[in-house]
This record gives sequence, structure tokens and C-alpha cells, in this order.
Amino acid sequence: MTEPSKGLLRAQEIYQDRSHRVLELQKQGKKIMGYLCIYPVPEMMTALDIVPYRIFGDMREPITKADAYMPTVNCAFLRSCLDLGLKERYSFLDGIVTSHICDVGSSLSGIWNYAVKTPFFHHIDTPHTLHDTSLVQERGLLPEYQKALEGFAGQEMTTGKLKEAIRVHNEQRALVRELYELKKQDPPLISGVETIRVIKVIESIPVDEGNELLREVINEVKERSDGPQIKSARLLVWGSILDDTALPEMIEGLDANIVMDDTCVGSRPYFSDVEITSDLMDGLAQHYLIDVKCPRTFRVRDYYDVHKDYMKDLEFRFSYLTDYARDWKANGVIMESVRYCDTHGYEVAGVRDYLDSVGIPSIYLEHDYTEGALAPLRTRVQGFLEIIS
Amino acid sequence: MVRIHFAGIDLGSTMTKIVIMDDDEQIESSVIYHTGAEHRRLANKVMEEALSKASLSIDDIAFVMATGYGRINVPFADRQITELSCHARGVASFFPNVRLAIDIGGQDAKGLKIRDGKLLDFVMSDKCAAGTGRFLEVISASLGLKVEDLGDISLRSTKKVSVSSTCTVFAQQEVINYLSDDVPLEDVIAGLHDAIAGRTARMVNRLKVEPDVVFTGGVAKNVGVVKALEENLRCPVLVPEEPLLSGAIGAALLGKEHVLKALARGETIQTAKRRLEEATFFK
Amino acid sequence: MTTEAKPRALNRLKSMYALRAEVDKMYESGVEASEEGKPVAWVMLEGWANPILNAMGVKTVYPENYSSLCAAQGMAMPFLERAEAEGYPTHLCGYARTCVGYSSRMIELGGEIPPEAPSGGMPKPTVLVASGAVCDARFKWFQSLGRFFDAPVWTIEQPSPGLRERLIEGAYERNVNFMISELKAFIAFLEKLLGKKMDWDALEFTGGGTQEINRWRWEINELRKARPGPMHSRDFWSAVTAALFRGAADPEVITKGFERMYDEVKERVDNGVAGINREEKYRLLFEGLPPWHSLGFLDQLAERGWNFVIESVYSPYRPVHIDLSQYSEPIERYVRRNYRSLEESLEEEYGTEEAGLIIDEILCDGTSRRMGMRRARDYQVDGVVLHVLLTCRAMSSGLNLQQQRLLDVLKVPSLVIEGDIIDIGAFNPAETLRNAETFEETMEHYRKVRKELGMPW
Repeated sequence: MTEPSKGLLRAQEIYQDRSHRVLELQKQGKKIMGYLCIYPVPEMMTALDIVPYRIFGDMREPITKADAYMPTVNCAFLRSCLDLGLKERYSFLDGIVTSHICDVGSSLSGIWNYAVKTPFFHHIDTPHTLHDTSLVQERGLLPEYQKALEGFAGQEMTTGKLKEAIRVHNEQRALVRELYELKKQDPPLISGVETIRVIKVIESIPVDEGNELLREVINEVKERSDGPQIKSARLLVWGSILDDTALPEMIEGLDANIVMDDTCVGSRPYFSDVEITSDLMDGLAQHYLIDVKCPRTFRVRDYYDVHKDYMKDLEFRFSYLTDYARDWKANGVIMESVRYCDTHGYEVAGVRDYLDSVGIPSIYLEHDYTEGALAPLRTRVQGFLEIIS
Repeated sequence: MVRIHFAGIDLGSTMTKIVIMDDDEQIESSVIYHTGAEHRRLANKVMEEALSKASLSIDDIAFVMATGYGRINVPFADRQITELSCHARGVASFFPNVRLAIDIGGQDAKGLKIRDGKLLDFVMSDKCAAGTGRFLEVISASLGLKVEDLGDISLRSTKKVSVSSTCTVFAQQEVINYLSDDVPLEDVIAGLHDAIAGRTARMVNRLKVEPDVVFTGGVAKNVGVVKALEENLRCPVLVPEEPLLSGAIGAALLGKEHVLKALARGETIQTAKRRLEEATFFK
Repeated sequence: MTTEAKPRALNRLKSMYALRAEVDKMYESGVEASEEGKPVAWVMLEGWANPILNAMGVKTVYPENYSSLCAAQGMAMPFLERAEAEGYPTHLCGYARTCVGYSSRMIELGGEIPPEAPSGGMPKPTVLVASGAVCDARFKWFQSLGRFFDAPVWTIEQPSPGLRERLIEGAYERNVNFMISELKAFIAFLEKLLGKKMDWDALEFTGGGTQEINRWRWEINELRKARPGPMHSRDFWSAVTAALFRGAADPEVITKGFERMYDEVKERVDNGVAGINREEKYRLLFEGLPPWHSLGFLDQLAERGWNFVIESVYSPYRPVHIDLSQYSEPIERYVRRNYRSLEESLEEEYGTEEAGLIIDEILCDGTSRRMGMRRARDYQVDGVVLHVLLTCRAMSSGLNLQQQRLLDVLKVPSLVIEGDIIDIGAFNPAETLRNAETFEETMEHYRKVRKELGMPW
């Protein structure tokens, strides 16, 4: 086998030592801001020359300290984030921004303040619905956040700087989509494992450096001869956060390629742009509340519609999955969720009903965010592949 | 006439099962062993015994299909298929009208939705041992009973107890509490069987229970659990003569089908080295 | 030899039974309304919607409460099993899964109430009113019922900002305006659904008897500070549903019921009578939602002298007079009465001086060690039982932190009980009882520690 190409190799290096680059930048005087989940509007950090650094867990590291602060019946991804915080793995952060992503995410913010402590802290109370009033509320939260960030950065966020930041982040979104285009071929030019690695890495370095890396990866992948092989199944993976390659490695170790995903270290934050509106905050509010499709938000076709139609509602909420399956020629869907994730858990029956209605086979896998626990899932995935092939 | 032979090996977490059949699908020999700590590696020994019983050598076997928990670690296997597909195929070979197959083995339980002999969907229990053969082993050991006697004991029950805990350790405590309250042993055992059956019924309900329902795996040998399952599913439950072998039989049959398909397409059959090596289970 | 029968460990309040009986009446009235063709809403408890729905002639029933009622009567497990068969993950909220199972059963029966349903059952909903407050389940769950009912779902948002963010200048007013516009949008939706206009005159935003009920409940809880504790948590939980059913029952009857309860508790305090028929060896605070399926377990603890004198959930708030005369819109008065600024609510709960200290801590650390300590301190408890629920993140995720803080700040130890609100299989009574026995030594130890530190109890 040939060496991985240069861009992919660099992604792999950063993936294995994720904080290396931001620590270098910190030495040069840059401020590093941790953020949990995708809602804390990293554009606003970039606009103030703060490096956004997404907080992840580590499924290869046993959770030993977090249990003292959070019972084990909570999402193991968030418990792992807390555990790493308590182990001082995030002690270099100059600040942290959290948002009202889910019950445990919100609870984690309070525990972090009590037990981990990071010099700067802000929590965004992102609303739960697509109501017009919620959009006004989300819009109203952003200036408060802006003021807090400006105080932290010691400079003003001008319209020009924010506009440029949105442009660079949109450029990143476009590059990610371009990368995903290369997964439409058979075999895909880049594997699911490599994709997760690249996406995790661009959320760990400044956005312009991430864009440069993406360009490198795209160019190299287009030319490569060592890419994935043709396999019987082309899968779409839907579900809760996957910030480690272990699960995709298990799946792609079988007779399947992951060609598309709807997960949040994946396509979810990148498949719609932030519109440059005359008031820039309007576009940001619209993007983060309305356009990002995460089960943490209550989405309904028309909330004033008094005549409920379940199938139409499912179509509104999940028809993009059919588009993905069609365009990326996926012949099966793996729904995955970390155990105790309620927001994804309630969605499972609906997603399954929807996929059944359009004739796309699916399987639901629940895992507990440890590498070892993935082995028993292998039989389920392989059994599913045997059924669909 | 030269006969062609197919082998199916089902390397389970608790039992290792091998079946050798000829091209008329007649079973020539079968061997069942405990997959003990030592035997985990010794799939080759089990294979040797099966070959010797059938008076065959390894070179006589056209195709070896491996299945079960340890399927990827059988060095002489030509191909691996999950126990899900193999059980479905095996069960359908004895009961062509099967629509739901339930297999309860040593470490897990599964439900298979089958139509016209084909696997359509499945459910599997979580990693914990509750509701599996291990659950019965742990509890019978703690009571000083043989696990194979539990079924008959439970049939004497007139008033089974309710075991509410879904966890093996908790259930064990419940059992001890009942016995210390002088509840008859048969009623406690019947309660345990009901707990397993209830748990299994809850799991397979997602597949919609429709007859024929077939029950396989080691726990299917326990008449008490069979009875409890019939009560919980509210329908008759069929058990094959040797409930442990359905996976290995299915594997051998799927091996044969694979070979026939390849031949029909004019393809050569890829086979592994015909050398009996120890399984590298903990690789 | 004859022995006199030992009295039961719990000394139940007689006044509780009348309030408990009101709960069944409420469910019966829901079924009656449905039979008369009136619209019925399934509503999340305390989610703003009740007075509005009632003013528009919609009968309200409460699936969260109904699930706990099923569990308390040992009827929840078949519903949980149905939810599992419907493909809902088993870690989801026990209330939600009971309701999913109930809904699935209802659809199987062509929309009829299942004959086995306790307390007459819940009628088929016309509308589902979810809530963005308290937990994710309260809006995700109703949406996921879409596969059973064609009733539309409306989620009422409620801001839940971080503590420090609540203190940002202008944030409170923004949140108030959000709530006002949310409720107006909800009313517009209801008007469209029901084909009639909101009857503003019928809308009694003061909550009618609600405030009066709250005042009696507050006064009762004040009495519970006495030694021995005159009222056990089980009586509190049995009666609380009657208080939480805003507008579903006759407020006058409920008010009277709580007034009688006050009299009974007062009499106990005056005569030194405890909520348990055993010597009060340990005073406890129950933190979290109760194990509805095994409430009798607390009787076993009472047998050992454990008196649960107070609990953390469903508490009444301090009755204060709020002058809202400057606000002309009834909706705005409603919002401002029920959604208080952090400064106001802290002052109401802790008094001016301590509230100031708390706010300083929040501004500095984003959190305060003093919060969440009031009950344990005011009721002088020896220990706290933390009920970690297998199926509830909102009520469980902060409990370990609470355990640490209680020990750090008040030197009060906690016993973690793992279980669930509904799923009896998650609870191990034998082991819990053994742990409780050991915990008695811990409580004894910390009594000495507090004494050495000169703490008041």
C-alpha cells in the first residue's frame, strides 16, 4: 500500500495530537476558545481573531474523574468531555462557550464552572423551536454574546471583521461540500474514517488553516490511487456525535463504505451556508437556529398547521436523508446514537418510519462511547449488510 | 460417485458446534463442545473430530463456512457469515414456515424475522448477560443445581414468583430472598424462566410475533423456558431436535449455496488454506 | 402469647386522602369532557398553557402525572414493554415510554381508552401541548407521539439561560418579551385550531385559587421544619398532584383541602407528633423525583427511624405580593408573575442578604455554592437521598455535584439511590436497604463533624 497522501497524512497527524497547533498559536499570543457542540457561533470568535477549538471527548480514555460529578446514566460523550476537563486536558483554554444543546450539555456547563473552571465563560440559551419568536430570541442573544466576547478579546467586533469571518467559514462549508462530492463516486475517493478525521481536524485549527488543509486534501484525493475499494454496501450514517474513527473503522472493516453522513462531526454543520444579510446577526441566527438540522431542535413542517399529517411531517423533517441517499447512492442507513442521548433517542422511531416509507433499509445501533463496546455491534452491522446485499 | 462435502462451524461464546454435510444436505457428522477457556483456540480439534466421525479428511471439504462470535478467527474457514443469517437459514431448513426465530445462547439473545426462509430483520440483546444462558448458569451454580435440571424442576411449580430485576446480580439477590422466605424452589425457578421469557418477548415484539415461532440455542433445551416463552408470546413455540446446531447447519447450507452460485456464474471458488491451525482468538 | 400489633411505620395525614381523591376525579372529568365532544389537551405540567387552555374551553390532562400514577398502581410495565416493541430506546424517560405504550395500546383499540387503564384513563387528545422548559423529553416526547395521533403538537418555549447570563443587563426584559410573544403565538394557534377567539375575560391569569393553594403549601412546608418532622414526603407527593393540576380541578376544593392539611400538620407540630410512628432518628431530604413504583420502600426506611421531612421537587414558592398594576396586558402580567428575574427569585427564596452573596458568587464563578443548600440547612437534615434515575437526565445529571456541595458546604452526607421513576427493574431494594444501613454510620459521623464545627445541628 502506498503512503497516505500529504493532506491526509497531515490531517492524521493533527488528529493524533489535536491541541498541538493551537498551543503553538497560543505561544504566539493568540487566544484559544473552547466550544461545546456547534451552536456557539464560531464565526464571532474568528471575527475577533480568537481561535475556535471544539471540545471533544476521548472514547479511548476511560472515564475516571467525571463520575464524581455526573451519574453514569448520562451521555458518555459529554461525561468524557467533562472527564478530560477534570484531568486538565483543556486547561490551556482561555475560555469556553457552551449552549443549550440538551439537558446534559446544559448541566455540564454548570459543573464545568464549579469543578473545571476556565477563565472566560459564556452560555448561549439557544431556543428549541423554529417559531418566529424563537428566531427573534436567538437574534437577541447574539449581541449579549458579542459584548462578552469583545470584553474577553479587548477589541471591537466590526461589521467588516464579522463579514469576513462569515465569508471564511462559508468558504469552509463549501470546501467540505466539495470534499463530500468526491464520495459520490463508486468507490468513494475518501473513506468515512478519513472524512471524520479531516472534519475533526478542521474544528481544531483556525478556520483559514482548515481551508488550506481541505484544499490540499481535495486535490490529493482526486489524484489518489490508494483510496477505498468498491464494496457491496454504500451506507449513510445518521445520528449523534461521532468524534472518533472507531465506529466507522469497524463498519468500513466490513463489506461497506460510508459514503454520506448526517452527524455532527460530519456534514451536519457544513451543508448550509450562513447568509450574508444586511444585519449580519440575522443570518447567523437563521443559520444556527433554523438551518442546522439537529434533533435538539423541535422541527415541525408548519407549526400553525392544525391538521397534523404524520407522513408529511416526517417528510419535512427527514426528506434531506432521501436526497443524500439518492445523490450518494446509499443503499442502507445506519442510525447510531450514544446511549442516553435523549434528543436522538426520541427521533429514532420517526427516522425509521420515514426510511421505511421510502424503502431505504436501516438499522439502529446504540453504543456507550467506548472502543471495546463496539465489537458486539460488528455482528449487527454485518447482519444488516447481509440482509441488504 | 464423488460426494462433495460442506462444513459449517459455529464458534459461539459458550459452545462450539460443527456440522459436516454432503451435497444432498444430509448431515454426516456433528460435534458440540464447550468453548471453554482452552477450547476457544481449539476449533481445529473440534473439526478434526467431526472429520474423523465422518471418515473424511479436511481436503474432502469443498467449503468451510464459519459463523458465531468467533467466526473471524477460524483460520481454515473459507468465508464468514453472521450467526444471524446462519440461524435463519438453519431454522428455515427444518421449519420452512418459520416467521420468527428466537435464539438464546450463552451470552446473548436474538430474534430473527424470517419470510420464505430469508432473514428480513433482527433484534439482539444488549451486552449484559441478563436473559441469556449465562444468567441461568450463574443462578443455578449459586443454588448448587445443574443447569440442565432447571427445566424439570420448574414444571413442578404451582405458583411462580415474580422476578422483577433485569440485572443478573440483582435477580440473584431476589432469588436468595425468596428462598430465605421459604418459597418453594420450583416456584422461584419458574419465576426466573418467566423473567427470561418476558425479557425475550419484549425484545422480539418489535419484529411482530407471528407463527411459526421457532426457539433455538442452548436455552431452548430448557422445557421451563419453552413453556414460559409460549405463555409470554401467547403462541406455540417449536424447538428443533438439536437446538444447538441450527447455526452450524445454516452455515454449511449457506456455504453450499455460495459454491453453487459461484459455479453457476463460472467463477472459481476462493478457499482458505486447508490446514487445521489453532484459532487466533485473542489476536 | 398475644402481642399488640405494631402501628404502621408511616403516620399518614388524614387530610391527604381527600386531596388524593381529587386526582381521580380530575381524570374522570377529562374522560367525561371527551365523551361530551369537548376538546382535550395533553399538557406538560406547569407549562404555562393550562389557564389559557381552560379559558378556551379545552380540558387538560397530564401524561407525566398519569405515568407516575400507572407506576404507583403497578400498571406501568406493560406500557413500557409496548414502547420497547414500538422501537423506542429503553433509556428514554419512563414517563414518556409509559405514555408511548399507552398511546400504542389506544390505537390498537381504535382510539378507545384501554380497559386496564388506571383511574379511568386519559382520553384521546385533540392537541398536544409540549414544553421547552425543564427537560428535552417534554418536547421530544410529544413530537414522537405523531405516529399514533393526528393531534397537532405545539411546544411552548421558555428561556433557560445560564445563571450569569440571567444577570446580563437587558436579558430579563428580553426573556419576558420572548415569553409574551410565545404565549401570544400559542393563543393564535389555539384560535385557529378551535375556530374561536380567545375569551380574555375568562382568562384568569392570577391563577385563581392557584396562589392561594401555593400559599397554604408554603405554610405547610414552613411547619415541616419542626422536630420531629410532622409530615413525611410520601404525604407531600400524594397530595401534590392536586395542586399542580392548574385549572383542571375546582380550585376552591383544593384550597380547602390544603387548608385542612395545614391544620392537621399544625396540630401535629403543637403536640410533637411526627410523620412516622417511630422515633425520628434521622431527618432526611429527598432530592429528585420519587420512585413511584416503590414508594413503600420509604416505609421500610421509616421503620429504621428515617423521616423524610422535606423534598426538592414540586416545592411551593414563597408567596410574595407582586405589584403588576403598571402592566395593562393580561398576558404581560401573567408572564411577569411567573417568570421572575434571577435577582427577584433569589431574594424571595433566600432573603436580601444571602441573595446578594449568591449573586456575587455567580458573577465571579458563574455558579454559587450556596444555591441548592437552603432546604438541607433550613430543615436541618442529617442526610440527603439523591435519586439517580436511569431514564431522566434533567433530574439526574446534577446530583453528584449536589452531593459534593452538600458535603463541602454543610457537611451533610448523601446516599445515592439508583433507580427510576417508572421502571421497577432498575431498582434493587435489597441492596439499597443494605446501603442505607451503612449510611446511618455516615450520618452519625457527620453529626459529630458539624458539632465540632459549631454548626447549628
